[in-house]
Amino acid sequence: MLTIDNLHAKVGDKEILKGLSLTVNPGEVHAIMGPNGAGKSTLGHILAGREGYECTEGSVTFDGQNLLELETEARAAAGVFLGFQYPVEIPGVSNMYFLKAALNAQRKRRGESEIEATDFLAFVRQQIKKVGIEPAMLQRGVNEGFSGGEKKRNEILQMLVLQPKLMVLDETDSGLDIDALKMVSDGINAMRSPERSVVLVTHYQRLLDYVKPDFVHVLARGRIVKSGGPDFALELEERGYGWLDAA
Amino acid sequence: MSASLAYLQVWQQLPEALRAQRDAVWRHFEQHGFPRVSEEDWRYTDLSALNDADYAADASVSITTPAALAGWQRLVFCNGERIEGAVQAPQATLADDGITALNAALCRDGLNLHVGRGQQSAPLHLLTLDSGRTMSHLRHRVVLEAGSEATLLIDTRGDDSATLTTSVLEVEIGANAHLRLLRIQDIGTSATDLSRTQIRVARDARVEYVGLDLGGALVRHDLNVQLAEPGAQAQVHGVFAPSGRSHVDTHTRILHQAPHTTSREIYRGLVGGRAHAVFNGRIVVEKAAQKTDSEQNLASLLLSPGAEINAKPELEIYADDVKCAHGATCGQLDDMAIYYLRSRGLDADTARNLLLFAFAHDVLAHVIDDAARQEMERRLASRLPGSAAYEGLMEGLIA
Ligand SMILES: Nc1ncnc2c1ncn2[C@@H]1O[C@H](COP(=O)(O)OP(=O)(O)O)[C@@H](O)[C@H]1O
Ligand SMILES: [Mg+2]
Repeated sequence: MLTIDNLHAKVGDKEILKGLSLTVNPGEVHAIMGPNGAGKSTLGHILAGREGYECTEGSVTFDGQNLLELETEARAAAGVFLGFQYPVEIPGVSNMYFLKAALNAQRKRRGESEIEATDFLAFVRQQIKKVGIEPAMLQRGVNEGFSGGEKKRNEILQMLVLQPKLMVLDETDSGLDIDALKMVSDGINAMRSPERSVVLVTHYQRLLDYVKPDFVHVLARGRIVKSGGPDFALELEERGYGWLDAA
Repeated sequence: MSASLAYLQVWQQLPEALRAQRDAVWRHFEQHGFPRVSEEDWRYTDLSALNDADYAADASVSITTPAALAGWQRLVFCNGERIEGAVQAPQATLADDGITALNAALCRDGLNLHVGRGQQSAPLHLLTLDSGRTMSHLRHRVVLEAGSEATLLIDTRGDDSATLTTSVLEVEIGANAHLRLLRIQDIGTSATDLSRTQIRVARDARVEYVGLDLGGALVRHDLNVQLAEPGAQAQVHGVFAPSGRSHVDTHTRILHQAPHTTSREIYRGLVGGRAHAVFNGRIVVEKAAQKTDSEQNLASLLLSPGAEINAKPELEIYADDVKCAHGATCGQLDDMAIYYLRSRGLDADTARNLLLFAFAHDVLAHVIDDAARQEMERRLASRLPGSAAYEGLMEGLIA
């Protein structure tokens, strides 16, 4: 599904990723942990195609194609979804309109027909229940005045509606209380399938209790410095990342 | 100073009797000419080119009349003369500067709307079309008697020619009456339009104004609202969205003269290309106007490096027990928002248009009449970059 090979990337003049390699196969869940400032969010933005984030060396292959050649919106249509660490407020554009416009834009790009308005409404109404979003929030501006937790749940709602293949969720669990965490986890688990993959960027084992990863990696100083199985996260939470510097 | 030949010629073609009647305003124009950049209110808008301008007496009209708005009556003026609809032209009274004086001297037609006590008049679309190297001067007068209600859309359009249009709209809103006034300013890229809207609001009456200014070589609108009696209310909202090399100057003045008067003003600017927008929003609270409640909010986006804006809110408060809030911001489209939308699959043009549209819609949302609002939305959308993506853009868009 996703092969990142020796990726070097800079933001502005600053080199952030320094030879990062990671392979994610269909159906797998990977957790990425690591100290603040290590480059986790940068990796997410490189995958999603944020302007000003430039790959200087290495490659990223998604479903057999060079991901970095695609426009941001083309990556979305190809099935890449980034759950933002800091979701953006779009005042004045209703959440419902946004969901529909995004889904139809993706479908159009993939050569699929636009979804029918009433079908879509019914579909969205089902999805919001899963993440505990009130119907009234669909009429509000995208993330406008949402609490931190509401924004994160809204990211999951978008994911449920857009049905991507590769979900990169950047600290979607940070700042959530237990109930919200459960809903977010349920949302992620609902999306899991042998054809879909998940990359969870997180600081907390808590999420991984609900969404069990196949692999846990530590990203530090712009690279994956150590990888392990599901239990590795427990060890990291206990010991921190300092000991890895010596390794 | 002596007026340029062009204006003199038009003046001399007027019937003798009319000239006798209008002698004072003509002399006012001859003496003062057009306002100059040395005047504070005109420092960004230079009319000097109008002094040497040359206009044909008549020109054939190359624009076709657009379809009528559903549920609206219509009055159409073409190059200063009525081609559709029947009402009487008003007497020109207001002439307090060179432009209004010129207009008063040379106007040949206009709307004279009188709504009787307690009456409700059908929404009226006043469309003016100008074409050719001509000038036209329209004078409108609207009087709402006590407890009456009216809706009026002043819609000015033109083609590519270098027309000069002036228009003066004088409005009196009687006690407890209610006027919804809309403006669309959409003249061609070579045209000049100078307009004045002068509104007096009586006790417990209100005006709800929403304007959309899209461009022209040189556009200036002076919108003066006088809240003359207790309980008078004004909503003065507008969007200015010049692009290309347009120069669009809006001066609003809201005068609180009596206690318990209320004003709300929201302006949104989208300035693209190498356009220059000027906005001056003055709010004056006179000493007698205790318990005034006034809010003003102005936000603009500069859409290209060559775009320019001079925006200035001005508050003059002479009463001590008032509530006045105001804010002005100027920025660029939020790159992060564009990225966020694109990361969900919207292409870059659509993402930008969506954001611009939502930004301006803070104002357009105040247009109650669906047909008029949709018309304004369409006209705004047609000016946004990549407007091909417009179809279906707006349905359900607004939060
Ligand atoms: N837009 C930016 N411009 C410049 N530097 C940035 C930008 N975004 C992040 N950085 C820097 O890149 C490094 C990695 O940041 P980030 O990827 O956000 O780390 P993490 O998500 O692992 O905490 C940090 O040193 C941060 O200061
Ligand atoms: Mg981060």
